[in-house]
Amino acid sequence: MADVKTINLTIEGRPVAVAEGTSLLEAARTAGVLIPHYCYHPGLPVAGVCRMCLVEVEKAPKLAPACATSVAEGQVVHVHSEKAREARKGVLEMLLINHPLDCPICDQAGECELQDYTFQEGRKDSRYQEPKRFNPVEDFGGDIMYVPNRCILCTRCVRFMDDVAEDPVLNVSERGDRAYIGKFEGKDLTHPWSGNVVDLCPVGALLSKDFLNKARAWELDRTASICPNCTQGCNAIIETRDNVVVRMRPRANAEVNSHFLCDTGRLDYRWMNGQNRLELPQVARGTALLDADWDVALGAAAAAIRGKRALVVASPMLSNEALHLASRLVRITQGKGTFRVARGPEAPLPGVKDLALRAERAANVVGAEMLGFTKTDTPFAGVGAGDAVVIVDHALTDADLAAVNQAAAVVVVGTTLPVGLKNVAAVLPIANFSEEEGTFTNIRGRVQRFLQAKAAPGLARPSWYVLADLLGSLGEATSYFVPSDVFAALAASHAEFAGLSYDSIGLRGLPVLGAAQPAGGVT
Amino acid sequence: MATSREMGGLHAESHASHGSAGHGHGEPYEPVFVGARRKELDELLTRYPTKMAALLPALWMVQEDRGWVSEAAMAEVGEVLSLTPAYVKGVVTFYTMYHQHPVGKHFIQVCTTSPCNVCGAEDVVNAFLKHTKCGELGVTSEDGRFTVIEVECLGACGFATPVMINSEFVESVTPESVPDLLSKLT
Amino acid sequence: MGYPHTPHARETVVLSKYFGDRDAIGLDGWRKRGGYVALEKALGMTPAEIVGVVKESGLRGRGGAGFPTGMKWSFMKPGDGKPHYLCCNADESEPGTFKDREIMRWTPHALIEGCAIGAYAIGAETAYIYIRGEFTEPLARMEAAVREARAAGVIGPNAMGTGKRVDVWVHKGAGAYICGEETALMNSLEGRRGNPRIKPPFPAVAGVFGQPTTINNVETLAAVPHILNNGADWYKKLARPDNPKSTGTKLWSVCGNIAKPGNYEVVMGFPFKDFLYDLCGGPLPGRKFKAVIPGGSSVPIMTMAEAEAAVMDYEGMVEKGSMLGSAGCIVIDDAQCMVKQIGRLARFYAHESCAQCTQCREGTAWTTKIMERIEAGDGTLADLDTLLEIGDNMTGKTICVLSDSCAVPVVSGIQKWRHEFEAHITGKRCPFKHAAAA
Repeated sequence: MADVKTINLTIEGRPVAVAEGTSLLEAARTAGVLIPHYCYHPGLPVAGVCRMCLVEVEKAPKLAPACATSVAEGQVVHVHSEKAREARKGVLEMLLINHPLDCPICDQAGECELQDYTFQEGRKDSRYQEPKRFNPVEDFGGDIMYVPNRCILCTRCVRFMDDVAEDPVLNVSERGDRAYIGKFEGKDLTHPWSGNVVDLCPVGALLSKDFLNKARAWELDRTASICPNCTQGCNAIIETRDNVVVRMRPRANAEVNSHFLCDTGRLDYRWMNGQNRLELPQVARGTALLDADWDVALGAAAAAIRGKRALVVASPMLSNEALHLASRLVRITQGKGTFRVARGPEAPLPGVKDLALRAERAANVVGAEMLGFTKTDTPFAGVGAGDAVVIVDHALTDADLAAVNQAAAVVVVGTTLPVGLKNVAAVLPIANFSEEEGTFTNIRGRVQRFLQAKAAPGLARPSWYVLADLLGSLGEATSYFVPSDVFAALAASHAEFAGLSYDSIGLRGLPVLGAAQPAGGVT
Repeated sequence: MATSREMGGLHAESHASHGSAGHGHGEPYEPVFVGARRKELDELLTRYPTKMAALLPALWMVQEDRGWVSEAAMAEVGEVLSLTPAYVKGVVTFYTMYHQHPVGKHFIQVCTTSPCNVCGAEDVVNAFLKHTKCGELGVTSEDGRFTVIEVECLGACGFATPVMINSEFVESVTPESVPDLLSKLT
Repeated sequence: MGYPHTPHARETVVLSKYFGDRDAIGLDGWRKRGGYVALEKALGMTPAEIVGVVKESGLRGRGGAGFPTGMKWSFMKPGDGKPHYLCCNADESEPGTFKDREIMRWTPHALIEGCAIGAYAIGAETAYIYIRGEFTEPLARMEAAVREARAAGVIGPNAMGTGKRVDVWVHKGAGAYICGEETALMNSLEGRRGNPRIKPPFPAVAGVFGQPTTINNVETLAAVPHILNNGADWYKKLARPDNPKSTGTKLWSVCGNIAKPGNYEVVMGFPFKDFLYDLCGGPLPGRKFKAVIPGGSSVPIMTMAEAEAAVMDYEGMVEKGSMLGSAGCIVIDDAQCMVKQIGRLARFYAHESCAQCTQCREGTAWTTKIMERIEAGDGTLADLDTLLEIGDNMTGKTICVLSDSCAVPVVSGIQKWRHEFEAHITGKRCPFKHAAAA
């Protein structure tokens, strides 16, 4: 590989050294200088059309578009000189002359780049006296609606569909100030990654119907997380309002999902708010289940398991921490650990390397397998009459029920109570993934942290916490105060995880040892 | 007559592109690129290193055969050149000479940009509107024979006022010569 | 179709020598008039030699930019293993300009010859002539001439029997002034919307189909055979003695309120006053000249004082506050309203904006709306300041200069005919409209 030359220049008085070929805009970013822009996006090819990023370069006759100009040795660049600011003010004025005064009813308010830059640098008033251009709202199909009046024609959406999704269903139609984003009648925006155009749109022109008028941007709490819906492990942001998840958005990670999230991940979050939750521990009294204290329930659960082989069927959406503790349960009972994972069609995003909605629709299949759980379509097969079955948040089919009900005792550790179970000795309520902290291991063996986005209902506790208490009730030594303690124990006992810690994983994730190969047989 | 007006769309009977009509009166679409036209397109394709480069010529063939470019035709062109219909439509709507709706039998385009404007081009426009009985720019006459629009500089400024009728280029048109010009059209 | 006038005695007919001569159109007639001698000569030279001659001649781009042609050709790196392309810009849409159509109508083979020599000189085997869709007759004549020339083996896989391939193809546009911008032309040729491209990369590095490309105007290429036949020195002598930077002849397209509109070919440096009053016959009966736009609508409007003191070459026009541009000379007399015409030009630019850059897309339309409101009598003095500021925002900040071009007539108009604007504003009506009008 040829050596890349380093170029030295000055941006806003700060010395900058970057690789040859870097744009002024990206070079400025490394120096902590944000050059305002609209059409530029690091995940898309450069367009240079919005003209917002014009900067003053000493000795150059004209202002230079920073997104489309490469660094040159010795350049002196001014982002906030009077000329550059006047140019930006001009662009903002031009963008606003036909822009409707929709802020009070526009979903983008509070996270709108037009609002933000206008507030920072724009004119205080409008001197436009002519009638504004009007076009009616369009339904683009799928989850997307288009409000042409608000569109600033940055063309990010068109470039995304053309170059990243490789499905050119959007175009720029007409010319001049009559231009708008168009599509062909009957060909809708249903590509499995098309929801990203809503994130990409700097204003409220492209909107999610799912999120329409649901919440204001400034009411949202944002938590760094990982999408739980397949093995890709896209980095995500869970947005909540009053303890309810209202939106999922991508979090940029160059190693995993670039800047994007697929529509399945984006729109499938309602289960996190499900209302039919287990909120209190329960113990069996005759054929009924009665609410009980945690101590009583844990005692009953331990009693049901002690002396038996345990079949632990654990959801592949559980964290590494929970699965590690569940696998200890398997070991101390000389039992077995299994899981089943749902499948769906794979949907790649062609413009990004190794990014797809994966066939296996759970986030921690790889973690489960690494921790000793066997993937099978019949996770409950072979239950003996003297066995205990511990169901850790795993779904059950009718066939599963028939098998489970052969067992001597069943302990449910979960978010909901499966219907039709017999011989349930104890029920231990746990948080779902959005209500606790943990890690997943993705299809490429990357361990990634997710944080707690909302509070668990009732007396439900984090999954790892409950499993640790259950192990303790069975006589095991456990003293975990925080999930990172569990992870440390996991790392100490599994070679692939050696050397990893919550601190080192951070919010970008790290691969397990030997992660160059895809894990198992998954592609 | 040609007073201040909205910055109209570029195409006759515009507000066009939002859900335009189909290709005709409910008949099934007949492809253009069969037989001789297909051969012509194939020959054209040898002149360029990409199929996409034949897009403008292909659209001209459609318009020459059908008088306008329907959505079904856009889809056919896309199919033939391996382009999406949305892409083809984006190109069609950019260029003013492609009609997205049927127009009058005689599509009259009068240049009114400044070099012709100072030579009385607007009077020529008004004469056409009057004598064709169209009454309004961009609206086809009731008998379906005429549509009159203003266009930008036709590149014949020294022969003011130039007028195109379909693809026929007529120079030095005056308000006085309009009735005679129209009388020669069927 | 109209016929050109008989050349005035003070014209220097080189390119326009056979305008009006029907026998010059076909291949045989063209050959009888010395056609394709230069091409034969060129194919026996090296490309570098040809570039040298053209450089020496001082030929500059005749489409409006005036960039030295030989230098442009020299940007094409020989032997890079990539297919090179020549594009001939026959999109002629600059208001006031109608010279390229004449070259193509009357002397189509002259253009083919120029394209073939140009293609060979830049190492290209393929040349495309991009002709605007409205040019029905030039398209027909050029297509016929290309067929003739191919059939006769003048161009094609074995040009003039030399074994060298020189293909020339006609490509029809579909109605977009912006496709006259060289990078937009390339996009249009590729089958895309006619959007100008950001530079770098420059066409000579990555142009049409991503390959090294040169774009030249019709008139520029038509001059090349004459330069090869008569020599660079001959071309250089066609200039002002004190200005060697502008050489050769120029076709001036004269139109508007003038007695004898048409195309006139004069030597670089011809006095503009003589040109307007003598060659072109002066104003119409009972009228006086008021303003001249010498180089197509994108150059500053000149007062008659400025115009009458100017000489007709690149530097001479700049000296008097305007530009030679495409030499599309629009003459406006005292019966016309400057506000109305400038508004009409703004409307032209607003129609033609491709919509990429914010300042152009919105600014051209906004300018038009304000101008038309002033013309209708609803303007204010503050509008004039707004127009000038919008014009400043539209200048030097966009991918191409269509935006700047819209600002030019507005700024020069307000600068030099402010009294007309003010009359509309204070009088709340256009002083030039007949009283009976609505």
